[in-house]
Amino acid sequence: MSEAAGTVVVIDDDYAMRLSCRKILEKTGFHVETFEDGIQGLEAIARLKPPLVVVDLKMPGMSGMEVIPRVRDIDPLIVVVVITGYATIDTAVEAMQNGAYDFLPKPFSPDELRLIVKRAMERHRLALESRQAEVERELMRRRFVTFVSHQLQTPLVAIHQYLDVLKQLDDSPEVQARRQEWFDRCLKRTEELQGIIKDWLTLSQLEGELARERVRVDLHQIVGDILATYEQMARAEGLTLENRLKENTCVVRGDRNCLSVLFDNLIVNAIKYNRPGGRVTVEGRAGNGEVFVSVQDTGIGIPEKYQAMIFDEFFRVKGEGAKTTTGTGLGLSICRRIAREVGGAVTVESQENVGSTFVVRLPAFREETAEARAAGGGL
Amino acid sequence: MSLESKKKILVVDDDADFVESVSLFLEHNNFTVLKARDGSQGLKVARMEKPDLILMDVMMNERTEGFFTVQEMRRTPELAATPIFILSALYETQAGFRVKPQSSWLAHDEFIAKPVDMQALLEKIRARLGARQAAAFPAEGA
Repeated sequence: MSEAAGTVVVIDDDYAMRLSCRKILEKTGFHVETFEDGIQGLEAIARLKPPLVVVDLKMPGMSGMEVIPRVRDIDPLIVVVVITGYATIDTAVEAMQNGAYDFLPKPFSPDELRLIVKRAMERHRLALESRQAEVERELMRRRFVTFVSHQLQTPLVAIHQYLDVLKQLDDSPEVQARRQEWFDRCLKRTEELQGIIKDWLTLSQLEGELARERVRVDLHQIVGDILATYEQMARAEGLTLENRLKENTCVVRGDRNCLSVLFDNLIVNAIKYNRPGGRVTVEGRAGNGEVFVSVQDTGIGIPEKYQAMIFDEFFRVKGEGAKTTTGTGLGLSICRRIAREVGGAVTVESQENVGSTFVVRLPAFREETAEARAAGGGL
Repeated sequence: MSLESKKKILVVDDDADFVESVSLFLEHNNFTVLKARDGSQGLKVARMEKPDLILMDVMMNERTEGFFTVQEMRRTPELAATPIFILSALYETQAGFRVKPQSSWLAHDEFIAKPVDMQALLEKIRARLGARQAAAFPAEGA
């Protein structure tokens, strides 16, 4: 696109009109190039790629109506405004159907011209941004697909290789010695694969606009239910789980399933990355229309250099032995997404070998007015 | 076979399970296997141990970590001629991931898809190392 973002090309066979447009628009700060016929105008447009073209509909030779589609061929983002001598609706509508953004019936005042040009420029700016966003989105999508594919392939490859070697070297003593361990590793990697798929589906569902409920949710109950399901697992690791949330203190409006997923991911992490005999503590407070719930563990902690990245998809801090890196790398990005959707956030404070505290901030529950309910919002 | 004639293979891959199964297979076939978990460790080990052949995964922590590591290795005089096999779970034809086998900026010797066919890998390794062995004794009149 032309660097001269303030360039307007004016095409009109009437000298007085060209002069007048130039004077009005140059006064507003635009750079103006004028042409007396469509052919010359199009040549310049192809060269300059201006954001805006003003063209008279009635001209000898190539008419304005014929110019419009040719401008769009050069670049569909160029905004075209037509000047009409006959203020008939048909002509204007036909022009718009051919791709013009707006029309200006003669005679028009300087202010009318300026206003239309201002709106057209704004329209152009938005179209540019939207195209850029689309390109970025497509790039990200492709990168993401490659990334996901690699994440799914990795455990499958590991399992395949183990099975292949087990089969080929079945009677070798080294393999015999490792058999049981390798079977366990294969099973572990299968679980890893299932975890990735499950998280991936959760993320997809969050992306989609599946109807989500917007009800009153007491986080004390959600957290309580989650901790109860992990009671046995925690005891096996020698961990103590504690729910310090009080009833009716941390209450939000949202979808119970989504909020369960959010806290489930945090609590599972707190259990997984903990130490024997450690603790997982959930507490919370409310104030100023907001609710804060923290999930604290006494685990290995997160090195400071990684703390900003842990919410990114697929990011995992690699343990000293790669075998200790479990999990899918999607859990925290799911948490972040759920929180953001309701206008909240998840942050972390952590110290290596001391532990981590994840804090979830959410808007507090409020009775809704009829308008707010109609407008939708929240989860 | 005496210890001197055992060839050294360096495996650079961040998946410990993959390294374990492939290593055992290669050791069973009388190779000494060195291991590295990422590109920089791979570079360090390669410079120190001067392996006879290197197996390198292309995507470890970073998307192109393997490629950059190969470049660095080629810049090291002692490693400039070491055969390097690139391994990847993504295939050559996959969109966004095309590797022309003889790319001038990526002097690798083979591109091998994962999961790896172990027998085929073994044959390729032997062919490559066998050829080098033969080159150590120049043919008459060459």
